[in-house]
Amino acid sequence: MEKLSDLEYLKLTKAQKFFYRLKLLITGFPSWLLGLGKALLSFLKNIILNIKNEFLDIFLTFKNGDFKTKLSYLFMGFGSIARGQILRGLLFLIFEIVFIFYMISSGTYWLNKLMTLGTKGPQEVYNEKLDQYVMTYYDNSFKILLYGILTIIFIIAFIYTWRLNIKQNKISEAIIKSGKKLKSSKDDLRSLVDDQFHKTLLALPLTGIIVFTALPILFMILIAFTNFDANHNGYSNALFTWVGTSNINQLVTWTSGSSNFSATFGEILTWTLIWAFFATFTNYFLGIFVALMINKKGIMFKKLWRTILVMTIAIPQFISLLYVSKMFSNNGIINGWLMDWGIVGLDSRIQFWENPTLARIMVILINIWIGIPYLMLIATGILLNIPADLYESAKIDGASTLQQFQKITLPYMLFITGPYLLTSFIGNINNFNVIFLLTGGGPTNQAYTTSGGSAGYTDLLITWLFKITTVDSNYKLAAVIGIAVFVVCAAISLFVYNILPSMKNEEEFQ
Amino acid sequence: MSMNNNEKRHMKQSTKNRISNTVIYIILILMSIIWLIPFVSIVLQSFRIESTLQVGYVIPKQWGLDNYIKLFKETSFPIWYLNTLFIALIVALVQTLVVLSMSYTLSRLRFKGRKFLMNFMLVLGLFPGFLTMIVLYTVLKDLNMIMANAVPGLILVYVASSGMGYYISKGFFDTIPRSLDEAARIDGATRFQVFYQIIMPLSKPIVIYTILTAFLGPWGDFIFARYISNYNSSGMNVAVGLWSWLQKDTIAQKYTLFCAGGVIVAIPVTILFMCLQKYYVEGVTGGAVKG
Amino acid sequence: MATLKLTNVKKIYDNNVVAVHNFNLDIKDKEFIVFVGPSGCGKSTTLRMIAGLEEISEGTIEIDDEIVNDLQPKDRDIAMVFQNYALYPHLTVYENMAFPLRLKKNPKVSEDEIFNRVINAADILGITDYLMRKPKNLSGGQRQRVSIGRAMVRDSKVFLMDEPLSNLDAKLRNQMRAEIIELRHKIDSTFIYVTHDQTEAMTLGDRIVIMKDGYIQQVDTPQNVFDKPNNLFVAGFIGSPQMNFFDAKLSKEGEDYYVEVGEVKLLIDDKKRDILKEKDINEKDIILGIRPDHLKVSFEDNENTIKGKIIVNEMMGSEMHLHINVNNKQDIIVIVPTISLTKSQKEALQAGKEIDLEFDSKLIHLFDSETEENIIYKKEC
Repeated sequence: MEKLSDLEYLKLTKAQKFFYRLKLLITGFPSWLLGLGKALLSFLKNIILNIKNEFLDIFLTFKNGDFKTKLSYLFMGFGSIARGQILRGLLFLIFEIVFIFYMISSGTYWLNKLMTLGTKGPQEVYNEKLDQYVMTYYDNSFKILLYGILTIIFIIAFIYTWRLNIKQNKISEAIIKSGKKLKSSKDDLRSLVDDQFHKTLLALPLTGIIVFTALPILFMILIAFTNFDANHNGYSNALFTWVGTSNINQLVTWTSGSSNFSATFGEILTWTLIWAFFATFTNYFLGIFVALMINKKGIMFKKLWRTILVMTIAIPQFISLLYVSKMFSNNGIINGWLMDWGIVGLDSRIQFWENPTLARIMVILINIWIGIPYLMLIATGILLNIPADLYESAKIDGASTLQQFQKITLPYMLFITGPYLLTSFIGNINNFNVIFLLTGGGPTNQAYTTSGGSAGYTDLLITWLFKITTVDSNYKLAAVIGIAVFVVCAAISLFVYNILPSMKNEEEFQ
Repeated sequence: MSMNNNEKRHMKQSTKNRISNTVIYIILILMSIIWLIPFVSIVLQSFRIESTLQVGYVIPKQWGLDNYIKLFKETSFPIWYLNTLFIALIVALVQTLVVLSMSYTLSRLRFKGRKFLMNFMLVLGLFPGFLTMIVLYTVLKDLNMIMANAVPGLILVYVASSGMGYYISKGFFDTIPRSLDEAARIDGATRFQVFYQIIMPLSKPIVIYTILTAFLGPWGDFIFARYISNYNSSGMNVAVGLWSWLQKDTIAQKYTLFCAGGVIVAIPVTILFMCLQKYYVEGVTGGAVKG
Repeated sequence: MATLKLTNVKKIYDNNVVAVHNFNLDIKDKEFIVFVGPSGCGKSTTLRMIAGLEEISEGTIEIDDEIVNDLQPKDRDIAMVFQNYALYPHLTVYENMAFPLRLKKNPKVSEDEIFNRVINAADILGITDYLMRKPKNLSGGQRQRVSIGRAMVRDSKVFLMDEPLSNLDAKLRNQMRAEIIELRHKIDSTFIYVTHDQTEAMTLGDRIVIMKDGYIQQVDTPQNVFDKPNNLFVAGFIGSPQMNFFDAKLSKEGEDYYVEVGEVKLLIDDKKRDILKEKDINEKDIILGIRPDHLKVSFEDNENTIKGKIIVNEMMGSEMHLHINVNNKQDIIVIVPTISLTKSQKEALQAGKEIDLEFDSKLIHLFDSETEENIIYKKEC
């Protein structure tokens, strides 16, 4: 599309400007995609080039190295020990020994089984002593998959360490050649609180994240390609095995009627997005509104109002949400009052949680109740930071209160809270507590139930995932849903990241 | 008409202000009522002894402490409470250390792979956290850390992935001028000394914020606690325990007990929160919007 | 106490931007060196490489003949003053100044010694009254003194200052500048001072390093930098108001050289002529530079003058700054001392009047119009 010059752009009317920018955004999308592709391609190219260089370097280091270096190719850490860096050398050596020991004792076993996830399932075997058939268990698909992955990761780690050990030798040789002294073990230890301090600080947190988040997620991604469910639990009833993309096919093959997995998924996804949109933006704007009211000059008892609201943050959600949910139930206080006031009768009590549409509206409303205080706090912090002279100059320029809000407060807030809005949107897609504690996903939808999952009208993807796991033990579908949630969140993030200026530069906020 | 406009134009600022302020007061009072109703009514209901089921009125017909006495004498509530308290204390301690080291490192230190690490965690964060539970459950089962022994298992799960929640405190650290680190390094401090002699003393609000949120988290966690304890009473936390009282088959006997339990849980937590509110607000407003 | 040697120092950032190109410099013991240049010229980066805050991409930095490339800042024995002072907000002035001493090990500095050194430094800087205050309760000037004091107590080999005065107001800046000059005589240290302000550079430096876009333009004493600028950039950067430039032509008639500016034809003085002859330079296009106070307003009818129209007359008291439009295309500035002007002459210098300007060929600078280098005095650096 033709780009307008600054002056041409300024001459456009408001509507024209809007459409021009919209057009720019849309027409810019392919080239953005192209750029992404190109970046990806050059990234891959770089990797291939790097690997080539690595091999070349490994070869050259061997060719030019002394015997200490050469022996290190076989015995990791030999060079370091021979050159007096005992601590480093020993660590290398111990790692190699552990690795070899592990591979011989069990690593190869798991690797061999990984392709099939086990061949021998549980079967009745004749036991001579008891003189009867006894259920005997053999392979465990779950463990094969788990330890198979671990073994592969261990191998990668070993190759990386081996490479590191070679690099180390090359560097040491160069240092010795230039006549300088190598770092002693004591220097190594000391650097852990200084220039290598990040390693010390990150060691524990990262181990936790890798073992307890990254690996399980990798595992679950793989589960999406197996038939791991209640009927194939991998050990006590039947083994599970690789099934290719058939689970994912279930999700993407769209057939009409709402009694299949993909249709259920589509409807729950739609509701999840509607929910996330309303939950995020109602809270956002009402929170700002409340903050503006409380902070207005001349309003008294500011602290009191704030404290009353903030109480909802302090009280654990399971208490407040569960209680509020019961308040709106058929026998709850709200219906009790409505009956007392003669608005409804015993038979015409409002069934807040039984009517699908009403239930959906209610969760959004109650979420406002939960969310406003938090937004009010954030908005207050930002509002107080808006330079007062902006308002003063706007007043002198003739802006009304509403215009000041429109032209100063809102743009400023949006700019600063752009990243927060995105996080909060993603958070709402995964907002388990509010939905589960309020409605438990209900009211149930028969159409959903028949298609693999006991989902209801207010179920989000995340609560559905929870039910499919805990109630149906349908792990393969849970994995597919989990991946779908990721794809949705990633797509939204990527999109927002590309249109929001304040997302791009981390340092800008420093 | 023009006369009218003129009058409006010259209407005293204070009069205009008074009108808008009155409207604001009305809205605020209404809001306060809406916000307080659930809390007031849960407290009142916890003293109701004429029946245990859910009723359509707020003010008890008969008052008494029976619910509280029953709560501690006849139910597993004390176990859940101690479980949760224990988990919360340990998590508050360890998670604070983890989060602070993570966020400090990512904010102040520059090293190879820093950007990659941050992107990696960003991507991980887009997966629903519960997804990991299926695997972790099996692993914890092997370690005998589920059901009745769920407490150590829960601590492990909470703490292990807590490093991913570094955004807010990183946002805070980012606001401390980098030249302070540089000056200290030139003055002869190691990175570690910069951390604990310069940055930590300046980061009191965010340290308290981190401790507070880490402590509050386990009180409200439902999803992990429910899954790992698997309804085994001695491994549950208060959230799962009290939730189980409001199910279809239990609510008639346990409704007022739930109210009493809720009050017992909420009071200390709320008091703690209110005392440290200042730091919480500073943390939220300082770090959240930058993350 | 220390010499510094920078050899082929280069800084390349991750995004392949080269901030500093082959930087070579020998700094003598106790010398006061000033890095000066517009923002983004690489002066601060160079200083930070010396401090160890920035990695050195290529080349070596030596302090007292020891290569310090891989040393941590704390092991380089340097002190540094930051632009924004970088005082530790949670420590009192006394503790701020004691901080570097407390971190010293083998030998550990005793409390008595710390006390003495801090008091001594505070005394020199006149901040004894504020020792128990926190930094936020100090004014900008006081903060800067504390920050200098913190650097002073260390008795380090090299004293680095990164734009220490740029956050202060004009009056305070002049005062602090004088104090720094005084200070350097009290401290036996090698100083490296970074600034974008040419006045600071001229007044403080034993030698000035002028940088632009990561390249050194000239290293010399203030006097030489002013009198014999290496190139157009240095000529324009040093001196305020800026040097005036004219497009001109160098011509040769027999043994004599002439410069033609518009209708003016100037005979080059003997000294320059000899150099031109030696360099065997013939006719070429040049840029003529002359400082505002070296142009003379001619009140009589002289032939060899250029004509201009006064646009603005800035009265500065002892002198006038005339903004003059020459030939309807070029604006220049001329400084006229007011002391010897008669009343009628003053009237002739009001805005809107036409005036004649005279050149003195001894005071002109000649630059190659292509390379922008000084034809006469270009020195390799």
